[in-house]
Amino acid sequence: MSRRVYLDHNASTPVHPEVLAEMLPYFGEVYGNPSSIHAFGREAREGMDQARERVASFLNVSSQEIVFTSGGTESDNFALKGLAGARGKGHIITSQVEHHAVLRAARALEAQGFDLTCVGVDEFGIVDPDDVRRAIRPDTVAISIMHANSEVGTLQPIEAIGRIARERGIPFHVDAVQTLGKLPLDVNALGIDVLSFSAHKIYGPKGAAGIFIRKGTKMVAVQHGGEHERRRRAGTENVAGIVGLGKAVELRGREMHAEAPRVAALRDRLWEGVRARVPEVRLSGHPTQRLPGTASLLFRHVESESIVLGLDLKGIGVSAGSACTSGNVEPSHVLVAMGVTLDWAMGAVRCSLGRSTSAEDIDYVVECVEPLVRKLRQAMPVGAA
Amino acid sequence: MRYSPTLVDHFLNPRNAGMMRDPDSVGETEDTECGDLARFFLRVRDGRAVEVRFQTYGCGPTIAAASVASELSRGRLVDELCRLEAREIEHALDGLPDDRKHAADVAAGALRAAAARYRARGG
Repeated sequence: MSRRVYLDHNASTPVHPEVLAEMLPYFGEVYGNPSSIHAFGREAREGMDQARERVASFLNVSSQEIVFTSGGTESDNFALKGLAGARGKGHIITSQVEHHAVLRAARALEAQGFDLTCVGVDEFGIVDPDDVRRAIRPDTVAISIMHANSEVGTLQPIEAIGRIARERGIPFHVDAVQTLGKLPLDVNALGIDVLSFSAHKIYGPKGAAGIFIRKGTKMVAVQHGGEHERRRRAGTENVAGIVGLGKAVELRGREMHAEAPRVAALRDRLWEGVRARVPEVRLSGHPTQRLPGTASLLFRHVESESIVLGLDLKGIGVSAGSACTSGNVEPSHVLVAMGVTLDWAMGAVRCSLGRSTSAEDIDYVVECVEPLVRKLRQAMPVGAA
Repeated sequence: MRYSPTLVDHFLNPRNAGMMRDPDSVGETEDTECGDLARFFLRVRDGRAVEVRFQTYGCGPTIAAASVASELSRGRLVDELCRLEAREIEHALDGLPDDRKHAADVAAGALRAAAARYRARGG
């Protein structure tokens, strides 16, 4: 086995060499605490300020509206708990297909006394804005809907939901961890008040992320301590990581427009190749309203993890849609919400392509999938799922 | 790789996979928590399992466990198979990670069920 093909870019991405080059001085000669007022601190602060400017410019917002965090999960938790905490009690609306960082933060708030509505989705994984409208109550304190689903790639009608939230004066949070840097994102046009994003999904480092908080949005801090990030998020900033995040965002601003159609064509090549060779396979998610590089393939009557293992042994990295952890197989909550039956949902495999993915990579994956699935099905009793 | 070369070999090249025509006994078990399922078919002559085949639905280790179980049970007395323990299958796979022990349990359970059913019928 010599060939290695990475098709798990929705999980994480390799750091772009230019990102790494900008980060390196912040592990060496620039080591001050950005909160210190001396020259050492100011040097670190300058790097962070530039990163903040770059992110703000990408989103077309003010740099004062950007707060750095440690990851997408922290940003999502901050968004929900920060918005809810500012009101103390009330009602939260989200959807059934959110990332666990949103869903479990919302459940935690529910346990503390907030009311929670998780709106459903259609067979493509799309939230109906009218369902959000109908769920609104006089005491609704926040609406949180993701931009793109990490598992199936479906894009949500953010603009329509943003309009509803704005009409009713309810803060609107969008988890854009899978989209910032992949698709154009104008938070003003989309009516977004709070937006989560992360560096390592877009060729930046792990452990660096951020949140846009529109000026005037009432949010309480979730992490307490010093005066960092204009008192919105305490803790000495991960300067090197933040510098990497800024550079990654800047690079994506230049590269994503040309990359999206190229990656989308490769994703179509993958789907067409698999569909032509493998019986009983489906593409989940919306056919057109989707992330360019994500293909969620459902292999009927095959178990996801056995496909992931089989492809891993061929040097291919993909991810399983159902997870067997500690002897407990759970189908993806996203596919369940979309009404996908278990015989299909248990065989979900996500392939997420990226900037380095080539046509040869895709052809190799297609070549490997067909004999693997055929062999697995031979050993599996049809209808057992 | 968190799995042994033996496990990987059985996963990639499962022995005795598939149905058996007119078996002398069939037994299956399902891990209700995990959803994994295994079904074993036995052909018995003079009280011994002379042919063993399986079908399974589960993660890679479950397929490998069923495959190795089908090999180690062939030629054995049905009475012995009624007492087959999961740890023998795990041992034959050169070990299983803690969170995949159920693979051997499912395979052993299905084989024991097939053997017990044969014996219950007075075979």
